[in-house]
Amino acid sequence: MTASSALQTAPSGRSHAAHARDWLAENLKGRLRIDRAHEIPVTLQELVDFEVGMHAAGLAGITWPRAYAGHGLTLREHLEINREIGLAPVPNSVNSIGKELAGPIILAICNETQKAEYLPAILKMQAIWCQGFSEPGAGSDLAGLRTRAERTADGWRINGQKIWTSGASKSQRCLLLARTGTAEDRHKGLVLFAVRMDTPGLEVREIRSIDGHRHFCEVFFNDVIVDEADMLGAPDEGWAAATRVLSIERATNRMYRSWRFQSELEHLIDACRTDARAMALLTPYSRQLAQIRVEVELLKGHVETLVETLLSGGQIGPRGSFPKLYWSESHQRFAQIGWEIVSRFPPGVDGPLRDIRARMEAVYFASRAETIYAGTTEIQLDIIAGRILKLQKAA
Amino acid sequence: MHDDLDPAEFEDTARAVMASCAGAADVPARARLLGEAGLLGVLAPQATGGLDLPLRYAVPVCRTGGQALLGFPLIETLLLARLLADESPDLATGLVAGETLATIAWTGVVEDEIVGGAPVARVADYVLCFRRDGGALLLETAACTDLDETLSIDVDTPDAALRPGAAQVAQLDVAAVARLRADAKILRAACVHGSAAQCLELAVEHAQGRVQFGRPLSAYQALRHRLSRDALAVETMRNALVRALSEPAEGPAFARDAAWLGAAQAGPGVAESAIQVLGGMGFTWEVPLHRHLRQMRTQAVLGAAVEGLDDLAAHLLNGSNSPWNGDFHHVA
Ligand SMILES: Cc1cc2nc3c(=O)[nH]c(=O)nc-3n(C[C@H](O)[C@H](O)[C@H](O)COP(=O)(O)OP(=O)(O)OC[C@H]3O[C@@H](n4cnc5c(N)ncnc54)[C@H](O)[C@@H]3O)c2cc1C
Repeated sequence: MTASSALQTAPSGRSHAAHARDWLAENLKGRLRIDRAHEIPVTLQELVDFEVGMHAAGLAGITWPRAYAGHGLTLREHLEINREIGLAPVPNSVNSIGKELAGPIILAICNETQKAEYLPAILKMQAIWCQGFSEPGAGSDLAGLRTRAERTADGWRINGQKIWTSGASKSQRCLLLARTGTAEDRHKGLVLFAVRMDTPGLEVREIRSIDGHRHFCEVFFNDVIVDEADMLGAPDEGWAAATRVLSIERATNRMYRSWRFQSELEHLIDACRTDARAMALLTPYSRQLAQIRVEVELLKGHVETLVETLLSGGQIGPRGSFPKLYWSESHQRFAQIGWEIVSRFPPGVDGPLRDIRARMEAVYFASRAETIYAGTTEIQLDIIAGRILKLQKAA
Repeated sequence: MHDDLDPAEFEDTARAVMASCAGAADVPARARLLGEAGLLGVLAPQATGGLDLPLRYAVPVCRTGGQALLGFPLIETLLLARLLADESPDLATGLVAGETLATIAWTGVVEDEIVGGAPVARVADYVLCFRRDGGALLLETAACTDLDETLSIDVDTPDAALRPGAAQVAQLDVAAVARLRADAKILRAACVHGSAAQCLELAVEHAQGRVQFGRPLSAYQALRHRLSRDALAVETMRNALVRALSEPAEGPAFARDAAWLGAAQAGPGVAESAIQVLGGMGFTWEVPLHRHLRQMRTQAVLGAAVEGLDDLAAHLLNGSNSPWNGDFHHVA
């Protein structure tokens, strides 16, 4: 049996949502569940295997063409399935860069050979991707990046450094943004590559983050040679492609967010309900939690409206900033409240209280990054001011 | 029949009518203009002269009304004209034509012998009052006493308290009132959306015209970011309404509550922000920002937004039905 014939989608007559629910109930178990505190953490291989299963079951690659191992459905089914993924304690994809950033951009600008090479490998988890955009000197001001790509006889030579590259030490490919000219060229002369992480001259160093993990990394390029075949789109198309990647990232990445947010809130309350002492800590926050619950619903409004826009052929453009901004700040407020509650649980609590305490601690620290990555809050506000409100800077 | 009508075109028509209402002398004059334009019968059956359209067509009407500080019980008239069509067809016809005026006392119940939150009750012919059992009575305002609008902060559509009189005209059952309240949440959210959008527009206009330190205010990032946040608030209201009027996967009830509670919470903030952006000018009676603030704050009270949040809080504390938490054992 070939991999593609093993692909299942919702059997006729059943909704995609019901299929996703059933599959998750059957397959999301043990250490994979992010709503339980685990003695031994889940391994990368376990996560990879689980994602292979999700793809085969029709829960990933939903909108990608069948020719590249996708399921050939629309964003509507993607949304329907992601609601269920959000409501269940599913781990975030270890290849979300591949599936939600590199994939769409490859579909948009690459040639047939490249699509056939890169895309199925992403869904089958044979190639985990990372995103090499930010540099020590180029964060919010991405156009200030300095990593150089020089033409050689049969390809490119890369020199420079990337930073904050999530998952680089676990990746097989890097979606690299580099420049052919000098930093003064700003938005011109930028080019995208799919660099193999095992290329000689490429070195990865993990960085420890505030949550204790070693997930984001520094990536050094010393005379790294990249084939012409691994250049994505045309040279000079890099900025347009990168901007599109970032707008996709803001608007559609992890579409399950609102529902995951909802499930975190429900988990907090349901867990506290198992113990009168915890309930006494939670109750004074009830109006604030109700406000958060309203915000979750309003966030769904942003997401569903953007999906409708895309389905009817419209562009999202700068409006992707709205859900990013709304979600990240609302989620941080929730994380603060949640932490204030669970951090005062009596010592020695076990079972559901121990689980939610561990989860809220993780959510609290992780949420601090949510107003930084994918364009900081200040950058989102700049985008809205400049591109949506079109506020003038001079008289 | 209404598939060929576009709610967006409705919005343009409505805006033009609202503009003409600005010159009208009083509430009855506005009623006639709105009635002639057909806006009051958007929801009412055709037998009353109405258009018999679904709720989403009333949204642009209420949105433009909020934007224009209309000074008319728009939400009340739209809903009562539909609700009374069967039991009191003549009355409903009068409402649709703008010849009869009716309002709703949104706060209190008849049994307490005083009700409140009745927009323009002073000039209304009829007032709907709620009963403790969830039903409602339509009363003749002339038979009510102690009408008092001194506590109203809304200068365009002042709401009044009154003592219900005995002259009962019609009666509504619990189901009819429940639907009325549900639909009112949407229309109120639309009114607040229009009001907040207008405040944002005034603030953006001012920020670009006013020069300080040699540059327009809109050049300064503190104000750019403030206005961006206000834009987010307004866009959130818009999208919440779109979602509440679609068929959300989770059903319409909570999406509707969220649209209303979210608007009630965020709307006044946009007006407050605009007042800040206009500086001393923002604090003047002449600039209409305070009237928007008054309108939105009043809507929040009439629509029981704080109570709604507390109801939701109580509901949340009862726990979810997430299957992933199904093995938890709850204490009382
Ligand atoms: C957890 C995490 C994962 C990440 N993963 C990746 C990844 O996989 N790949 C990748 O390429 N990058 C990644 N990033 C990097 C991320 O995109 C950058 O951190 C972000 O763009 C900000 O850049 P910076 O860190 O250089 O901060 P800076 O740009 O130096 O900003 C510092 C502060 O100044 C503010 N600021 C900057 N410019 C302005 C301005 N014009 N006006 C007002 N305020 C301003 C910012 O908002 C911020 O508060 C990740 C970051 C985090 C935290």
